[in-house]
Amino acid sequence: MNPSLSDIQLDALRELANIASGTAATALSQMLARGVEINVPRALALPPADAVEACGDPEADVAGVVVAIQGDIDGLVLLLIPARQADSLCDLLGVEPHTEVGDSALREIGNILATSYLNGLVAMTGLVMEPSPPQLHTDMLGAIVSTLVIGAAGADELALVLDSELDVSGAPCSISFLLLPTAGQISDLLAPLGLAESPA
Amino acid sequence: MGEMVVSANPTDELSALGLGSCIGLAIVDRRAGVAGLAHIVLPERHEGGELAKFADTAVPLLVERMRRAGAAVPRMEAAIAGGARMFEMSGGLDIGSRNDQAVRTALSEANVALRASETGGNQGRTVRINVGAGLVTVRVAGQPAVALVGGKRPPRPATSKAAASPTGAERARKWRGPRAIVSTTGAQP
Repeated sequence: MNPSLSDIQLDALRELANIASGTAATALSQMLARGVEINVPRALALPPADAVEACGDPEADVAGVVVAIQGDIDGLVLLLIPARQADSLCDLLGVEPHTEVGDSALREIGNILATSYLNGLVAMTGLVMEPSPPQLHTDMLGAIVSTLVIGAAGADELALVLDSELDVSGAPCSISFLLLPTAGQISDLLAPLGLAESPA
Repeated sequence: MGEMVVSANPTDELSALGLGSCIGLAIVDRRAGVAGLAHIVLPERHEGGELAKFADTAVPLLVERMRRAGAAVPRMEAAIAGGARMFEMSGGLDIGSRNDQAVRTALSEANVALRASETGGNQGRTVRINVGAGLVTVRVAGQPAVALVGGKRPPRPATSKAAASPTGAERARKWRGPRAIVSTTGAQP
């Protein structure tokens, strides 16, 4: 299923995602003053079409916050929040959804979560990753994810999707995280862990 | 993504869901009752790439597969949707508009008439073809679908009613009425 990555490598990437999303969950919990649960993350190395499919119903309305990263690893962090749950997240923060302030609050949440996530990765790997300002776009899930996956991985390369989910307790709100490294840079992420070489 | 399908079964509905920078290329021959849909990912094929993913190879491949299913090039009507620029990414590589241009070029090289397009902008789209009706529709998030090719009726997925109806060719004849031409948004020079 994952011709270019071994089970050990995927396990290592899953562990990276786990630690990184733990950092992000702490940040979200402090922001909302509520408990936040993390599920077991997935690490998927898939052809772009399958990677998009793995993210959910392509026609579902979602709010996506994108933070591009540059440095030792180029790529992006994408947060996906089902559109209705983005509204309830705004309510939790005491701002009106679908207003300038509401959008700005979602971008800021995305920013804080993505940078916490990156901090977790940086602490583990020692790699330099600089985040750029967040962009918010609410649209069909497939359109958001496919555009970003193709931009990062191209049409044929494997896309690496590190996917973890945060659930805010007592509120219908779950946030998915995806880390999409640019094609060919997956090994750079694995090198600091001593796992860069793919066993033949 | 990167998939291609051709059908002459009037009860089929073909769809490309959640297109972003990709292009959904729909071609129908309403007389023959044949429809085809390609989900095109990038403008140009590189060595070893799958033919159906890239505009320059996917367009002639779809036309050829439709011909083999009984469609004729002079009767083919194409509609395209997608090619959006959803995020402002550093580097400014606009895959969507390059896809759009490449598909238009390949269609004109294949002598297939482009009847309608809904490309560019920053919104995702879904394309559906009701094969029996020869009806092509496009939808953006949170809005109803609109017809690109095949008349004014509100789009409806193929149902068992369609299965009971006559052949695709007969049905297509009934649908010859006014065509809704939806103008291009933004992508034309």
